[in-house]
Amino acid sequence: MTRTSIDDGRALDRAARREATEREPLHRPWIGALLAAGMAAVLGVAMWRIPREHAPLPLIARYALEIAIPRWKLTEPVNEIVYGTRGFDTFGETFLLLAAVVSVVVITRSREPRRGYFGESAAGAREQQRDDPKVGSDAAEREARSAERREQDDQAPQGGERAETPDATPLGTPAPETAEAMTVVVRNAIRVVLPILAVAGLYLVTWGYSPGGGFPAGAVILGVLLLVYASYGRRKISKVIRPGLIEPLELAGAGLIIMTEFLGLVFRGSFSANWLPLAPMMTPLSGGVAQLFSAAELIEVGTGLIIAVFALLGMTHDWVRDDDDTSAGPPGGGERER
Amino acid sequence: MILANYLAAVALFGVGLYVLLTRRNLIKIVMGLSLMEASTYLFMVSLAYRAGSTAPILLSPPAGKTAKQLAHGNVADPVLQNFCLTAVVIGVAVTSVFLSVVVRIAQHYRTLDADRVRAMRG
Repeated sequence: MTRTSIDDGRALDRAARREATEREPLHRPWIGALLAAGMAAVLGVAMWRIPREHAPLPLIARYALEIAIPRWKLTEPVNEIVYGTRGFDTFGETFLLLAAVVSVVVITRSREPRRGYFGESAAGAREQQRDDPKVGSDAAEREARSAERREQDDQAPQGGERAETPDATPLGTPAPETAEAMTVVVRNAIRVVLPILAVAGLYLVTWGYSPGGGFPAGAVILGVLLLVYASYGRRKISKVIRPGLIEPLELAGAGLIIMTEFLGLVFRGSFSANWLPLAPMMTPLSGGVAQLFSAAELIEVGTGLIIAVFALLGMTHDWVRDDDDTSAGPPGGGERER
Repeated sequence: MILANYLAAVALFGVGLYVLLTRRNLIKIVMGLSLMEASTYLFMVSLAYRAGSTAPILLSPPAGKTAKQLAHGNVADPVLQNFCLTAVVIGVAVTSVFLSVVVRIAQHYRTLDADRVRAMRG
């Protein structure tokens, strides 16, 4: 280790300590407080005149309650509104969700093998080597890269082999932990809770008289996967949570929603009209097209939220991935030629 | 006294706005936006409430009442519950967009202080 790299490490240490003790930066707190209080005062005044708990229901709510059973055979007006009366609105909101998910995917996507090789980084590394071979990575960078690799890749942690499954990890393993899995108590508790949550989520969709259908059910499915992730670690769900599987599923959900709504235009002359026969009330198929919409929404919301949340959790550095042997690698890493 | 709920929603919105205007930590700014979002959920659910009402379910009307009568009677407003339901899901997705932008900013600028992210300044 050279003298400069030791100095660099110390400087970084000092900077980190300073940042930890630094006071929370505030930007003009008094003006902020004044503006926020003014806004709250205006909204507070507005609140005096809006309907309160004794006001009659608005006409749109009454209309929805009246047609829920005769027109949709649905005993749950919230469901009727989401997928029936306000079906077109829900259709738009779904694509707002899709837009948000696509944004997250675009922002978080890491480098991936490309069909056409551009080779900028390898060419840059070669040029660097030719013109200024002295520039190399310092100790801090090497340490950061190896820590990153430990975190991202499935390499054995320092000081021992990784256990086959989280359950096989001996109790009371000395720190630092790799945050691969939680304790045996949490894992067992989650083992009990998971099937209940999964069944509850699917129940919400299957029975048309659960409020909201696919929307809350999709969120429950995300919760199930997040629990598995938090308790057992990333490897346990990596077979299910991969873009190659989840992204086509999401697009299939979006396609199903478009088809469900568009066939109303084809068969009934109105977008989002019901074109399926209505099953008797309080059966899984009551509600006609509302149930199909709800199931498609489960796919769309479930996979959309899974993509957004796991893309965020799995965000890696967007710098160039280093070669296998970083210490002997070219300056600044370097991408392998494909 | 549902007005208390309305005012609580306003207070929550005010706190969120204050955080948004005064904090320079990007994570806290996103938290402020989430607070403002949460205040709208509280507001919509409170607006749906009717004194002494039941949930808007036409499953088994009380004895001597039909589902149609129930529609004219005392139930909570299902339209606003629907707004809230969809808003929560969209809120999660939008928050994840904010957070992924924050992570990328932190990676490129090595700071979460909005004041030190100066590339966009003229």
